[in-house]
Amino acid sequence: MSSVSDGNTMMNEQRREFIKKTALGVLVGLGAASGLVPAFSLEKTILPVWDEKPVPGKIRWGMLIDTRKCKDGCRQCVAACHHAHNVPDFKNKKDEVKWIWKSSYQNVFPTASQQFVSPEIQDRSYLALCNHCADSPCTKACPTEATFKRWDGIVSMDYHRCIGCRFCMAACPYGSRSFNWQDPRTAIHDPVTTYPTREQGVVEKCNFCSDRLVKGLQPACTEACPEHALTFGDLNDSRSDIRRLLETNETMQRKPELGTKPSVFYII
Amino acid sequence: MEVMMKSKKLLWTIAVTAIVLFTVLHVFRKGEAETPPSPVHRVSLIDSTKCIAPAAFMRANHMQVLYEWRNSSVRTGNRVYIASNGSKFEKSLNTCLGCHSNNKLFCFNCHNYANVKPKCWNCHLSPMETP
Repeated sequence: MSSVSDGNTMMNEQRREFIKKTALGVLVGLGAASGLVPAFSLEKTILPVWDEKPVPGKIRWGMLIDTRKCKDGCRQCVAACHHAHNVPDFKNKKDEVKWIWKSSYQNVFPTASQQFVSPEIQDRSYLALCNHCADSPCTKACPTEATFKRWDGIVSMDYHRCIGCRFCMAACPYGSRSFNWQDPRTAIHDPVTTYPTREQGVVEKCNFCSDRLVKGLQPACTEACPEHALTFGDLNDSRSDIRRLLETNETMQRKPELGTKPSVFYII
Repeated sequence: MEVMMKSKKLLWTIAVTAIVLFTVLHVFRKGEAETPPSPVHRVSLIDSTKCIAPAAFMRANHMQVLYEWRNSSVRTGNRVYIASNGSKFEKSLNTCLGCHSNNKLFCFNCHNYANVKPKCWNCHLSPMETP
């Protein structure tokens, strides 16, 4: 009798232990799942949106900027982009590095053919970024193929291959490229761990947020705009929002006469 | 009998607490579920508890692996590495560092000993710098 009851208590002890441990495991698991327990401080590794090798030319990413909605003095898109990509701020024009910026009508559309446009249009500031041209002059100028046309229309940079010759900067008609004259790490005031920095002696530019696209996110500038002035989408998809807006609005591109076929469009 | 009742009670308490905690945490997490973007298809979590290849192979060939990963992912968009046992990994330095940055000196010990100075950390965040 006594041995049976001993066995029972032992079993109960084991049961208790088991239940306790299971509960602890469940709680820790829940904590990790809800982000309380940080699994890893760097960017989470995820399987990308495109599982296999993408078909070149199937997608052509583009952007439409509705300048009527773009508020003067608002720089949220610029701040979001430059923060997300560790873009340095040297606080002087000579060393300036920029991926997206605001500029005057004369600077953004110097060859616009309209005469006598209204002073309101001339006085506004306009958003400028890499146009990710379909016929990009910079990629043709690059001697090391460090900058190249991606399968989805994005003009991309492979910083590992850049030798800092700056041919691409000379070739780009839009001033979309910046050179790192100094070590950029000294001028990144609020660095993020989710994107690398660049090093001294390489050219850098807007990457159309290819780092975010691969996770199924919209570009940082598009997401940051409080007025929803930016529309991002696939120009090859006739049912996409951007194509619908392009068809229903009068739009223009920067320096279209050069034949670079920019993928960034403007509603004035 | 009494003990069984107690453990049953305990089990119920744990289950209820867990469900409440989970719901509350999910409701109050901000931002992540908002704005479904148009280019989205499917994002799945990766299993980073496994190694992509045996340690001996990696010791001798990690530079070739990284070089191949960089070129195929950046230039052709083929971002998924399928290991010999069929498990999938994202071709990213962060996949490696997901485990190996636990040891802050993981890269540096060997590189110092062999006196090689790779330029990875001029741009990428090294295990030494991870918070």
